[in-house]
Amino acid sequence: MRRTVATKVEPDAATAGRPLPDDRLKEILYFLKLARYFDERMEALYRQGRLPGAIYSGRGQEGTHVGVAYALEPEDSLFPTHRDLTAQLTKGLELKRVMAQFWGRIDGYLRGRDGNSHIGDWYGHRTYAVMSHLPIAYPVACGAALAYQRAGTGHVALAICGDGATSNGRWHEALNTSSVFRLPVVWVVNNNQFAYSTPNAKEFAVPTIAERGAAYGIPGVRVDGTDVLEVYRVAREAVERARRGDGPTLIEAVSLRWRGHAGHDPAKYVPRELLEHYMLSKDPVKNFEQYLKDQGVVTEEDVTDIQARVEREFEEGHEYALASPFPEPGDVTKGWWVEDGYWVGEPGRAGGTEAS
Amino acid sequence: MATQQVEAGAAGHGAEPRGKRGEDGQATYLIAIAEALWEEMERDERVFMLGEDIGVYGGAFKVTEGFIDRFGPERVMDTPIAEETIVGMSVGAAMEGLRPVAEFQYADFMSSGFDEITTVLSRYHYRAGVPLPVVLRGPSGGGVRASSFHSINPEPWYAYAGGIKIMCPAFPSDAKGLLKSAIRDDNPSMFLEHKWIYRRIKEQVSEDPEFLVPIGSADVKREGSDVSIITYGAMVHKALEASEALAQRGVSAEIVDLRTVYPLDEETILRSIEKTSRALVLYESYRFLGIGTEVAAVIAEKAFEHLDAPVVRLAPPNVPVPFSPPLEDAFLPQIADIEAAVDRLAGW
Repeated sequence: MRRTVATKVEPDAATAGRPLPDDRLKEILYFLKLARYFDERMEALYRQGRLPGAIYSGRGQEGTHVGVAYALEPEDSLFPTHRDLTAQLTKGLELKRVMAQFWGRIDGYLRGRDGNSHIGDWYGHRTYAVMSHLPIAYPVACGAALAYQRAGTGHVALAICGDGATSNGRWHEALNTSSVFRLPVVWVVNNNQFAYSTPNAKEFAVPTIAERGAAYGIPGVRVDGTDVLEVYRVAREAVERARRGDGPTLIEAVSLRWRGHAGHDPAKYVPRELLEHYMLSKDPVKNFEQYLKDQGVVTEEDVTDIQARVEREFEEGHEYALASPFPEPGDVTKGWWVEDGYWVGEPGRAGGTEAS
Repeated sequence: MATQQVEAGAAGHGAEPRGKRGEDGQATYLIAIAEALWEEMERDERVFMLGEDIGVYGGAFKVTEGFIDRFGPERVMDTPIAEETIVGMSVGAAMEGLRPVAEFQYADFMSSGFDEITTVLSRYHYRAGVPLPVVLRGPSGGGVRASSFHSINPEPWYAYAGGIKIMCPAFPSDAKGLLKSAIRDDNPSMFLEHKWIYRRIKEQVSEDPEFLVPIGSADVKREGSDVSIITYGAMVHKALEASEALAQRGVSAEIVDLRTVYPLDEETILRSIEKTSRALVLYESYRFLGIGTEVAAVIAEKAFEHLDAPVVRLAPPNVPVPFSPPLEDAFLPQIADIEAAVDRLAGW
């Protein structure tokens, strides 16, 4: 079953010199605030021992995560990572089902088969279920893009990885292959300056990641990843370029990871001055909120309302997750093969196979 | 058996016949595979092939010769030498409704795409419920003096990953029918074509476009009463030859050809053991943790009360496939080894 591409207002349909209509700008602020609140609350629950498994904070990088996902249409596909759960929320995943996944419940998108932000909802929202071996999804994005190109759908695949993943051979394979076949794909590197503990200087010997695009005949763009509108603008251009059939674009979005690689990591390897600089001057959420206030798009009351909505949704999601049943232990081997029928009947699972 | 051996060059790169059947209507294993691909490409336009040198050149072993003229470069897609991307791209295309068939020049090079095979292709449906109708195919196996990097039997590595159906046919008809089934299956599959067999074995093969061989089904290639030889791939032909000599000595060997090594057809294996009470597990993957290790375990666990003798395994040692002819011959189970093992079993 294929949905029609929803009509979104183009960036040039601006109001008062702003790149998007006011309601869309408010929506972006909602996603940024949702990301920040979710991230902080989940970390607290993790530290209290009330959340099983792992967490991977995306704090400080919300501008990149929201900005790139907001540039996609519903039928465009997103190949995300563990760190950019917010990109999937922006693509439309329901918070309560995301939270059910964190608690290993049957109502999670992956029915307890995987946990935390290793999530995806292919049939519902065209997001690929995250795998850890980054950039393992880059070659897969090539394949989705190939299918769009063959069918002439005009859809685009957008894949994200971190700075560290650019050292892996698959990153280079995928960029090269996408350029050779001029595939409708957008490559996003969320350069948060540290791959676990390893800084950029120990990952690559060129000044920027963006310039590596030249090696593959791909335009590379470096953007301030903490500026959500700038990320959106660059990503939107890249998406439209791919949609026109002009091939892939490489986007390097620079920010800083405020927290450790995962919940257990205090990230003492990040220089204090650098962290303070980013937290004080480059907070993607605060800066965008201030911009909207300065522009008269939102009032203090609007911001309070958005924050209240975010907190309410989090509490509802938490309650939903804890009330959702665990998967049946007897189902542990089901779904290994398609003919098991385990996934049949899952909401939004129709389509895509011979059987259907 | 209605099969015969034909001449072939080193590494299986024989000259003729290829591309079409002989005047007697018989098809080699290689031609049977090409027919399966051709028929499924004709049947379903979602099926396409990708790989290195498969289009203009027609593939390292010429399996896909002439395909690009009929189906065009989009459906017979020459790719860069990037195996992780060949596999990953197959996954992504399958997620969007296409049915990719990826060729590897040698099954050895599947390991260059190992992570996309074992982490993505094998696990994605279990984790996320998205079927991946992807076929990975390539020539495997030794005995053609192709040494370490062109002779591997990689099936245990990928069987261990799970989630990928793995076929290792020994005969042209089985190869054709299984490959067609694999292309139509909604699960990932790996189709390993033994290069020693490519141009050596031919037989009458069905021309019915709906001729299919079920995946996961073993086949008794020779009925016998004294000893069961459980085997697959090129070793089936070695076992058949050995069984002729054994029959002359009054030893009756039954040969079970697994055809699919994962999932295993335990029922057919156990039925044979119930009949003969003695098992020789003969396989070309490594002895330690090879496919036969699992077969032996299944027999020990589920047919203990039927056994008159310990299960015997005959397989290569866990060393790289060596080049020098005396070394490779020592590495691979030989007909004399099979006869000796069966004689020992029959003596119990």
